[in-house]
Amino acid sequence: MPGLPSSVDLDECIARLYKKELLAESVIEAICAKTKELLMRESNVVHVKAPVTVVGDIHGQFYDLIEIFRIGGFCPDTNYLFLGDYVDRGMFSVETISLLVCLKLRYPNRLHLIRGNHESRGVTQSYGFYTECSRKYGNANVWHHFTDMFDYLTLSVVIDDRIFCVHGGLSPSIHSIDQIKIIDRFREIPHEGPMADLVWSDPDPERDEFSLSPRGAGYTFGSQVVKKFLEVNKMEHILRAHQLCQEGYQTLFDNQLSTVWSAPNYCYRCGNMASVLEVGENGERVFNVFEAAPENDQVKDMQMGQDKMGEQGQLPDYFL
Amino acid sequence: MTIVLGAALTFSAICNGSAPRITAPPRLWVPELHLQPHLSKLHILPIRPQARSPQDELRITSQIHETNTHETNKHRRLQPPKPLLPQPLRILNNGPPTTTILLLYHHSPLNITNHLPINQLPPSPLQHPPPPPQSNPHPAPSPTPFTITTLKAPILKSTPIDLLQSRLGIPIPEMIFGDNHLTLHHTPTAYTLTFTPEPALDLVDKTGSTGLLKVHYATAWSATREKTSAGIKEVVKPFDWSYTTSYRGTETPGLGGQKLQRDDKARIPVELLQRRDPILFADEVVLYESELDDNGVSVLTVKVRVMEQRMLVLCRFFLRLDNVLVRVRDTRVYVDFGEERVVREYTAREGEFGEVKKKLYMEGLMPDQITIAFRDANQIAHLLPVVEHEVESVCLEGETGQTQEGR
Repeated sequence: MPGLPSSVDLDECIARLYKKELLAESVIEAICAKTKELLMRESNVVHVKAPVTVVGDIHGQFYDLIEIFRIGGFCPDTNYLFLGDYVDRGMFSVETISLLVCLKLRYPNRLHLIRGNHESRGVTQSYGFYTECSRKYGNANVWHHFTDMFDYLTLSVVIDDRIFCVHGGLSPSIHSIDQIKIIDRFREIPHEGPMADLVWSDPDPERDEFSLSPRGAGYTFGSQVVKKFLEVNKMEHILRAHQLCQEGYQTLFDNQLSTVWSAPNYCYRCGNMASVLEVGENGERVFNVFEAAPENDQVKDMQMGQDKMGEQGQLPDYFL
Repeated sequence: MTIVLGAALTFSAICNGSAPRITAPPRLWVPELHLQPHLSKLHILPIRPQARSPQDELRITSQIHETNTHETNKHRRLQPPKPLLPQPLRILNNGPPTTTILLLYHHSPLNITNHLPINQLPPSPLQHPPPPPQSNPHPAPSPTPFTITTLKAPILKSTPIDLLQSRLGIPIPEMIFGDNHLTLHHTPTAYTLTFTPEPALDLVDKTGSTGLLKVHYATAWSATREKTSAGIKEVVKPFDWSYTTSYRGTETPGLGGQKLQRDDKARIPVELLQRRDPILFADEVVLYESELDDNGVSVLTVKVRVMEQRMLVLCRFFLRLDNVLVRVRDTRVYVDFGEERVVREYTAREGEFGEVKKKLYMEGLMPDQITIAFRDANQIAHLLPVVEHEVESVCLEGETGQTQEGR
């Protein structure tokens, strides 16, 4: 690989990323290449042991990711499982995904990364990650390195054979977890099929079965679907992310399914809480709820400025 | 341990699969980062291996922990959760709702100073500590024709969401700022025009009778789906998931029955609004927002700017359904404080996604800029054909017997 650094010190990279410094493009390229090699060996269903702390959507909110480490313990003192959606919307998607990938490489068995619907070329082009990469690096190469690597992220994790973890939810094409194992996942997230459903679908507490989304694509799944899935697979609980909740988490279907959301004050304006779910050695689940890190305030104006040019900045907005 | 990738790439850090058992003292970091000169601009710091940064400590700590896997792997809070810092900006986002109230005396600026000093009227409440939360504006000591109130609160919690959902009968957008509002109140007549999310959502098509929008890949999606899971046919309770609304605000007529009426001759004096008169107060409130499951955006916001003689409210619904269409529905409310006259103008615009893209391209935007433009209604609205336009007005002056001595 011409042009790549001859070696990369991961601890140095991690130290820099904790300080929110960017890594050089060539370093990102090397790290993504190495991560692909590592992820390629993971199954579509990774089995891990408790204790583990499960983290929901981050969406580029770097300071809040650091807050999670402060609250839950830094890697590798605490085992982590991230449920996807690391990038887009927040201001620091590049720093966030760089740090997570470096930690994954450094402690492959201590930290697991599941693919979310935002770990895709299509979605990141509209929702900020592409723009952020181009702005911070002057070109889109880094975006290509990261999104190519996203194709290798695993789709689901099972904790202690009792908790099934996925980004979005269940699929009508998947009854048994073994059916997930045969998906060819090394590709862009398709618009349809089981792989799309796993990262996209949402629970619907008012229904029993699967129903079609009114938008013309995608499913919601109801209580009977959850019950059957848990029975067939001899599991106790489904754990997923993907949906914003004001309280930082939500439990549905008689405590058979929980949503964990880890981006406090989402998009820097929702004012919501966030949580991480700590799964103990005996399968006990504790939501650790937290709010936005104070560091976010330092870049407040920047956030507003980026989001809505000139509206709440120093200059008065003479809108018409 | 060193892992060699290909021929040229070496990772010197420990990255084997199992937790390493460290018996020797932790290795100091060795500088091996060789970068090409042109890459130095990317914040590559000079390498100082001798420096003992907190990160070095961290690494050492972590390696010690790793030697004893099962014991140290329990839940651990290295630092307790931080206490709330007394930072006003933070309170604005996560703390109690922020209410900003502006009482307007349109004749004497001195009156403003007496009642609520101008220097406490932030051009944007973001830059100043918010006033203590107030649910009701205090009655003014002397008649004040107009009061403008904005409230910015966090998104609703699950219980109020469930209640709202059952009142409306449709699933509500994931970002629902149910408590937010912008209210314009005319004290002498008790005339009120308010913008809140619930009545706006109440105008959303709840049955899908107007024909539902579909995401651009819907046809392809249903074609493949028939093969795999044909059993699931119905869309339970179809509704307009794009949350399109023609909301123009909620009006409470004045005591004398004053209310907005169609007035084709009325117009908003743009030339007066283009003047750079000092803005006494400005705010923007989001009422609801949906990401449409990452198929675009649907957002209803209302913003206001108040000058000495006049004010303008813009309530904008913006819908971008990727590769399908773009909608902008603007309600502008113009108030002339001198005439005590309110003009409301509603303009609905709509265009095909591809057409808008073409127009942006014709304006000379690069593909990346087009992506950014598609997130900003301000950059798109003028490119969309107007599909509906209506002007209404109401005069509030002198129609009640109330005192006008403040004027």
